[in-house]
Amino acid sequence: MFKKVWTLMALAALLLIVAAPAQAGKTWDQIQKSKELRAAMLTTGKPFGFHDDKNEWVGFDVDMAQEIAKRLGVKFVPVKADNNTRIEFLVTGKADLTLANMTHKRAREESIDFSITYFFDGQKILAPKGKFKELKDFVGKKIGTMQGTTSEVNLRNLLKGLGDKNPNVVSYQDEQACFSALEKGIIDAWSTDSTLLLGYAVQAPGKYELVGDFFADEPYGIGLPHDDSKWRNTVNALLQDMFKDGTYEKIYNKWFGPDSPYPMPLTRKIEMWP
Amino acid sequence: MIRHYLEKTWVQYLVLALLALSAVGYFVFVFHFGYGYRFDWTVLYKENPSYGEVLGHLLIDGLALTLAISLGSAALALFLGTVFGLARLSKFRPLSLTATVYVEFFRNTPLLVQLFFWYFALPMGLPEDLRRVLYDIRLDLWGLPVNFEFLTATVGLGIYTGAFMAEIIRAGIQSIPKGLLEAAFSSGLSFTQTLRKVVLPLAFRAIIPPLGSEFLNNMKNSSLAMVVGVPELCWSAQQIKALTFKGFEATTAATVIYLSLSLSMAALLNMVNLRLKILGEKERGFGHKMAHALFKPLEIFLETLAEVLRPSPRPVSLTLTPFQATMKRLGLAARKVLIKTGKALYLALLAYTLYLLAKGLASLDYGLIGENFASLLIWRFPHGDPSESLMGLGGLSLSIFMAVVAISVSFFIGLFVGMGRAAKNQIARIPSLLYIELVRGNPLIMIIFWIYFFLPIFGLDLDVFWSATLAMTVFTGAYIAEIVRAGIQNVSRGQFEAAASTGLSYLQTMRLIVLPQALKQMLPAIAGQFIAIFKDTSLAYIIGVFELTYVGKIIANRLMVHPFEIYTTVAVVYFVCCYLMSLGAGKLERRLASDTFRLNM
Repeated sequence: MFKKVWTLMALAALLLIVAAPAQAGKTWDQIQKSKELRAAMLTTGKPFGFHDDKNEWVGFDVDMAQEIAKRLGVKFVPVKADNNTRIEFLVTGKADLTLANMTHKRAREESIDFSITYFFDGQKILAPKGKFKELKDFVGKKIGTMQGTTSEVNLRNLLKGLGDKNPNVVSYQDEQACFSALEKGIIDAWSTDSTLLLGYAVQAPGKYELVGDFFADEPYGIGLPHDDSKWRNTVNALLQDMFKDGTYEKIYNKWFGPDSPYPMPLTRKIEMWP
Repeated sequence: MIRHYLEKTWVQYLVLALLALSAVGYFVFVFHFGYGYRFDWTVLYKENPSYGEVLGHLLIDGLALTLAISLGSAALALFLGTVFGLARLSKFRPLSLTATVYVEFFRNTPLLVQLFFWYFALPMGLPEDLRRVLYDIRLDLWGLPVNFEFLTATVGLGIYTGAFMAEIIRAGIQSIPKGLLEAAFSSGLSFTQTLRKVVLPLAFRAIIPPLGSEFLNNMKNSSLAMVVGVPELCWSAQQIKALTFKGFEATTAATVIYLSLSLSMAALLNMVNLRLKILGEKERGFGHKMAHALFKPLEIFLETLAEVLRPSPRPVSLTLTPFQATMKRLGLAARKVLIKTGKALYLALLAYTLYLLAKGLASLDYGLIGENFASLLIWRFPHGDPSESLMGLGGLSLSIFMAVVAISVSFFIGLFVGMGRAAKNQIARIPSLLYIELVRGNPLIMIIFWIYFFLPIFGLDLDVFWSATLAMTVFTGAYIAEIVRAGIQNVSRGQFEAAASTGLSYLQTMRLIVLPQALKQMLPAIAGQFIAIFKDTSLAYIIGVFELTYVGKIIANRLMVHPFEIYTTVAVVYFVCCYLMSLGAGKLERRLASDTFRLNM
């Protein structure tokens, strides 16, 4: 018995030692070696990343990531993420980049890096049609949002600024829960990035509307592992190339063009370096 | 030589201490945490400059909510459990059938799916005004935010745990020998008197220990309240992680809190069990004395209360005056009528509920369910894309696959750890004990978070499916270890001694004598554990494994308009699988029946 125990202990110790040196190299080198691009994206963020009626995983972010992989000449490996995991994946090396309609925020810079802004969005509030006129009307109302997003922080700050001492904010785990809750009237309104709101609102045409102005800018950046400037430069250059040769616009129009369910004309140009 | 020393307790402790020390030293001095993770414990107690608050307060608020939900739901569960446990024994068939349906349905569907149902689906059946009132509830009970989310979580959890308690209470009452009841009735006690004076006092002794572990499970299950937006402890840890990306620190803090809650509850339960043991004054050990001392104040309080409340004895005369006799006859007649009307009313209510249910079911869009049913069963198998493990296998088949892998691997973990736990040698016993208590003291969600998010920090990288399966395995292993330990300890002492005296070694004794007997006894409990882990696969949804619940959510997300159809189908699929399995387990138990064990799940 004791011999067995010792063998087990030794095995366990060995496992720990063997497992330890599995350190990630620099992202760029690793991609060159593995010939794979692991891109983390959302599965419930319509129209950025979601499952269509053939159960295919599609969306603006998915197309963008696919294009980046194509241009790098490596295999595209999609990784499923959510609002709580999209940063964690970069920190723990489960993904090489994340396109998960993630706002470029200074607080996030402490843990990860961002590419240049590849999509401009802002936060709004979606509510049943005709019920609210302006942002002030939401004081004291029950408003839903997603846990782990900048929207949550912005919404609380907005309501506090409008004089709501104890904002009634409910944080769900994903977009779908928010929309369900809004549909059922459990919450009075749902606040997050306007494109996400529109993506859901078009499912029930004429029933919901965006109320008030943008109250926070939400510039989306591609999330990248911390302190890896070679990789960051590569991604930035790729984005600018895509914008220059029209690929970006093609993908953009596929999801937000005049024929799409949520038309939103492309008005801003991404940052270009000569 | 080594063997000789290893039998000394101090050597065993020394070895353990050395092992622990070298592990700590290894992690502090030699090991580099993967991906340069920087620890910063100050997030828990220092004011965060970006948000202007001490984020550790979130954990405290979360803990308050966890406690409130646990207590509220435990009280409700105890009430429902008693009512339905008694109702299951009723001779009035419609009542006992209702109770059976309640127990079977709620025990055999995952809590997660139930919570979704209570939160999103059920209120839709209520009138608009009432719904509005429910949704707008917002009270502040001593700083505790009470709203619709909180109430849903508390009531939903109470109903879930109640189903388990009903079974325990029914089993407890049925464990009373029939002879006692006959004796009670033949000595002229009425039904309520028999219940109050004979059945319940005896039944409670059998009921309290399993009831206690049900309270413990209830507390751990309260972590699921986060899916309906209640900021309880697990939610708070996630929140701190999302705000600061210091997931390791926040999750460690939450784990420690859960663990101390579980351990103190377990300690209290232990005390109760010791107190309940019937032992003579002289046979009592230190623990028993402690337990007696601990509960003395409560006993004195209850006795005084009973003394105060006891009605003064009425003069009893055995012959009734004509007036009294008439009154008594009238009373009996009235009671009969009351019971009859009660039964009729109950039947009417039942019929109405069934009608509502049938109407609801008839209004479902079955075309929609038909279209998506295949996806719910296998997702995209075998046409999955590269992001999906196992060729796009998902839905029900993935849930079953996960459960099968988890139970098969954890069986061996459980076997070894269980043996270690039952061993005398401290080198085997203490690590086993630590593993069991550490895992069982935490909700499964926390284990999943640890494996999924923090294994990479230690350099191991797994995809979502395998992380979730590993978490389930580690989790189930601890429970099976307890089953194994109980099985081993059920084998009588004499057999060990006989084996030792015939010259068998420890391992031989285990392999040839103890385990064959113990395993046969453990089979029903392990079957129960399998059903539990199958239901628990629904939690893998939280990290995005494509099991049944997640596929249901993805489909509901796409359809948007009719999520009710999908969630109902998901619940029914879970129920059918679990119910069939529990029927099988019941059959197995009866086939292996001897009088020393009972299926606990």
